[in-house]
Amino acid sequence: MGLTAIIRKNREESYIDYSLIFIILFLLAFGLIMLYSTSSYEAGLDFGDSAYYFKHQLFPTLLGLVAMMIMSYIPYRILARLAMPIYIVAAVMLLMIIPFGKTINGAKRWIYIMGISIQPAEIAKVAAIVFTATIIIKLNRSLVTGKGFVAAALFPAILAVMVYGITRNLSSAIIIMGITVIMLFVSTPGYKRYIIAAVAVLSLAAALVLIIANSEQTSGMNYRFERVLAWLDPTAHASGKGFQTLQALYAIGSGGVFGKGLGESMQKMGFIPEAQNDMIFSIICEELGLFGAIAVMLMFLLMIWRLMIIANNAPDMFGALLVVGVMAHITIQVVLNIAVVTNTIPNTGITLPFISYGGSAVIIQLAEMGITLNVARNIGKD
Amino acid sequence: MKKKLVVLFVLALLAFVGLGVRLILITKNNGEEYEKQVLSQQRYDSTTLPFRRGEILDSKGTILAYSEKVYNVILDAKLLLRDEKFLEPTITALVREFGLNSGEIRQYLADHPTSQYYILAKKLPYDDIKHFQDMITPGMDDYDSNIQGIWFESNYIRKYPNGSLACDLIGFTTGDNNGTYGLEEYYNDTLSGSAGREYGYLDEDSNLERTTIPATDGDSIVTTIDGNLQNIVEKHLKEFNDTYANNVRAGNACNNVGCIMMDVNTGEVLAMGSYPTFDLNNPRDPSCLIGMPAVDEKGNKLKGDSVFDSGVYITEELLESFSDEQLYQNYNALWKNFCISDTYEPGSVAKPFTVATGLESGSITGDEVYNCGGNLEVGGWKIKCHNTYGDGAVSVERGIEISCNVAMMHVAQATGVSTFTKFQKDFGFGLKTNIDLAGEARTEGLTYNAANMTPTDLAVNSFGQGFNVDMIEAITGFCSLINGGYVYEPHVVKKIVSSSGTTIKSIEPRVLRQVISSSTSDKIIQYCNKVVSGENGTGKTARPAGYMIGGKTGTAQTLPRGNRQYVVSFMGYAPADDPEIAIYVVVDRPNAQFQDDAKFATRIVRAVLTEALPYLNYPMTEPLSDKEKAELEELREKMVTSAVVEEETEQAEGEEAEEEAVEGASEEETQAQSEDSSSIWESFDVDASTGYYIDPNTGNLIDPNSGHAFGGDDLPDFDGSQAPEESSEGEAAEGGNQ
Repeated sequence: MGLTAIIRKNREESYIDYSLIFIILFLLAFGLIMLYSTSSYEAGLDFGDSAYYFKHQLFPTLLGLVAMMIMSYIPYRILARLAMPIYIVAAVMLLMIIPFGKTINGAKRWIYIMGISIQPAEIAKVAAIVFTATIIIKLNRSLVTGKGFVAAALFPAILAVMVYGITRNLSSAIIIMGITVIMLFVSTPGYKRYIIAAVAVLSLAAALVLIIANSEQTSGMNYRFERVLAWLDPTAHASGKGFQTLQALYAIGSGGVFGKGLGESMQKMGFIPEAQNDMIFSIICEELGLFGAIAVMLMFLLMIWRLMIIANNAPDMFGALLVVGVMAHITIQVVLNIAVVTNTIPNTGITLPFISYGGSAVIIQLAEMGITLNVARNIGKD
Repeated sequence: MKKKLVVLFVLALLAFVGLGVRLILITKNNGEEYEKQVLSQQRYDSTTLPFRRGEILDSKGTILAYSEKVYNVILDAKLLLRDEKFLEPTITALVREFGLNSGEIRQYLADHPTSQYYILAKKLPYDDIKHFQDMITPGMDDYDSNIQGIWFESNYIRKYPNGSLACDLIGFTTGDNNGTYGLEEYYNDTLSGSAGREYGYLDEDSNLERTTIPATDGDSIVTTIDGNLQNIVEKHLKEFNDTYANNVRAGNACNNVGCIMMDVNTGEVLAMGSYPTFDLNNPRDPSCLIGMPAVDEKGNKLKGDSVFDSGVYITEELLESFSDEQLYQNYNALWKNFCISDTYEPGSVAKPFTVATGLESGSITGDEVYNCGGNLEVGGWKIKCHNTYGDGAVSVERGIEISCNVAMMHVAQATGVSTFTKFQKDFGFGLKTNIDLAGEARTEGLTYNAANMTPTDLAVNSFGQGFNVDMIEAITGFCSLINGGYVYEPHVVKKIVSSSGTTIKSIEPRVLRQVISSSTSDKIIQYCNKVVSGENGTGKTARPAGYMIGGKTGTAQTLPRGNRQYVVSFMGYAPADDPEIAIYVVVDRPNAQFQDDAKFATRIVRAVLTEALPYLNYPMTEPLSDKEKAELEELREKMVTSAVVEEETEQAEGEEAEEEAVEGASEEETQAQSEDSSSIWESFDVDASTGYYIDPNTGNLIDPNSGHAFGGDDLPDFDGSQAPEESSEGEAAEGGNQ
């Protein structure tokens, strides 16, 4: 059997998940269109170039597609060996924010490497996925013991604490922990402890909210507390923390069933601050209406479904865990983002994957997709 | 694991369904309310984009007025306070670039954290904001992203590079680009462009559309004014003021002094000035008011305690005591243009008109000789000549030369009331000239018509008393006397140019009518030349060195008669044989013991023409005496050094010395003259200080040249019911209120 025959055999047997690729490309293209629609007015005012944000998103998107293709060809099993280096790189980059960090919009979350701004928190998410998958495989049976479970959760927790401690980015920390917990949930049998944990977390959150809501508003209050108050009653905080949320609600409400039409948003004209970031979904609602918004949500749901299928059919546990991590990442971000926009939960800075403005995020997300495509490629092989 | 994955997917699905339901609920429950909210917070209010007001240029293209773009510094507190880190860099930059008080800014930010529009600094020129502009423009070297919440609002302010030059003529603008007085007011619509607008509106689908209509800049006007001539005129008016200010009374050299120079053959105004002036860039400068006669709420001059007082003059103490309203009344008096808005009785300058009327109507031939006995009885009044001792046999020509009232009364009587009044109207008396300046006086009702003119009125009208004119009216009529009879509409603007430089409209000279024939005109020129060149001419002192001019003096009594208040004037032209330039100077109540001396006016005319005629490239026609040569030499030197302020006092002194010299010369002439002619007054004693004769009966001084008795009052005092009020005062109100 010659080399060509092996390649042909490989090619014949390799599985390519076209529906997932289609969904990814659709969301990227749709995201760029919405980004341009949302940001062109403000960009024209601030930079004299209405395509400013569009251009700055297009390049990372292309870069991310390249990263996705590369990752889809790199055998995912190598990642098991790279788990520790990736984890260390993520941790070092987080630490580098302290001396070299760049502050944008009042948050110190970025570092510059060769003129490109990178958000280390995004890398930490990948690191958490890869590292958790690796450690779960390593611990294997001992994972069911309390000790092993804690050991598996500890390393991602360190990353999460670093993300929160260094960048004050609670949402990224929550996402990292969420990814880890979901991966552990999938890989361990039983529901009891998860239900207890979920109930505990929820009741803690509810208690906190109650305490904040009933306390007198004092000057010493953390700004997150204010966000909680703004969440409970956005109109009362319309000029402060509630402004963005309230304007987003106005956008959703005024969109109606079919929206005002693409590019016809009024709220993007300076009313929703940074609309191209966290609040882009509200502009989608305004311009494309409930119809467009639910269509986008369906696309994400399809993507999650495809990820679930890939994870279920993964050739090995490691591959499945990687896909579950990616699935958890996408699911958490989409759900939290839409929940914030609809004022279902307090405002945290979570972006909508593939659509919101953000170079690091889109590259990392596409790289994750590359990993899942590689896992998919190995479906049916032993 | 597969099971758990499905559970996970179901959880995600539930979350999505939950969020979807929430979206639907928001739209369903709050959709309409939020839609209204969205529409209501849109800014439909339009922003005005300022236009650039047109320029005012002189005939040579010198800029008299222009608009400069200026910037207001606007603070958007909300934008600035988005982040703590913006605060310090922004305030530091503001303090450094604009010298603002950081404490005040902080206070404002603390008090109004949500304000989005607060003017920090106003009307800064581009140079001042340039650096800051760089700091807030991305891509510039000095760009600092931490400077936030500051932007610039542009506007235009009016600038007058020559300060007070032609202030009354140009006028100024109020803050909202509205012209007040002069050209700025008259041509307000032309100079104003239309402001641009940026506005939002909702289209049929309730979508907000924003549209920008750019501003259209105003058109510029090119005037007929020659900036250099204007400068010469104003310099000499100021010199006159410096010479006579605080002379016998505290205050300016006279209540008003005005000078108009006009192109005889087109009606173009070449220069138009008066004193006092004010800085157009700062029209509300109370120091300009000091020395002016104070006015009441109607713009009428306040009466002094005595009937002999010319007015109440503004001092610093009086200024202090003014209410805002009084201050504003007096500013109006300062800002109005004396040359077009004040009326007065013209006096003897009307005599050429009387003669022209007689000649043109055929009532006289010009060869008549009248006997002047010092007075003429008309309608029961004994109307005196200024030489109450009589001039003897006076021809028409000599009547003009020596300004004989009796001769003029005879001419007017020969002409008759209907012809006389018809010609008055034809010359333009009692009519607006429609000059393109704001604030021209209405003189209708200040002249007689055939129905209400009594023989006495006719008699006094013949020598310029009993009816009122304003300066522009008089000189416009006078030009028709000497240009072949054509009355031109006087104008100040000759061209309207668009902001891009294309000519929109050329204003050509406009002949309104021909009043007299060219042969009559030639005769008037001949007579008026005699006023300056004749041995006994009253206007000899108006002749500039090296030139021959013609003209007519005027010394008009004011109301009430016997108040010893006079308006003296000289109306002349150059060159004498072919008039091209007309000049008219009026001095209202000179600051002198004896006001009835036309030399106050002729000296100004002489000084102006001595500089103006060489400037206009008229060749000298007359031989220069040594003294005149020295004078011109001195003038040349002064013109070189006149930029230095200190020189000015010397200059004034020089001028005074020169005037004395001129007077000395005329005295010499008088003495030479008195040998061959003999008049009654020449037997009187001579006043040692002035060289004038003293009338033993009245104590009045008598001019050795003309036999005119200073302080002598020779007109019947009218009861006012028929005769118009002397109204350099009455009309001032009108002028001031326009």
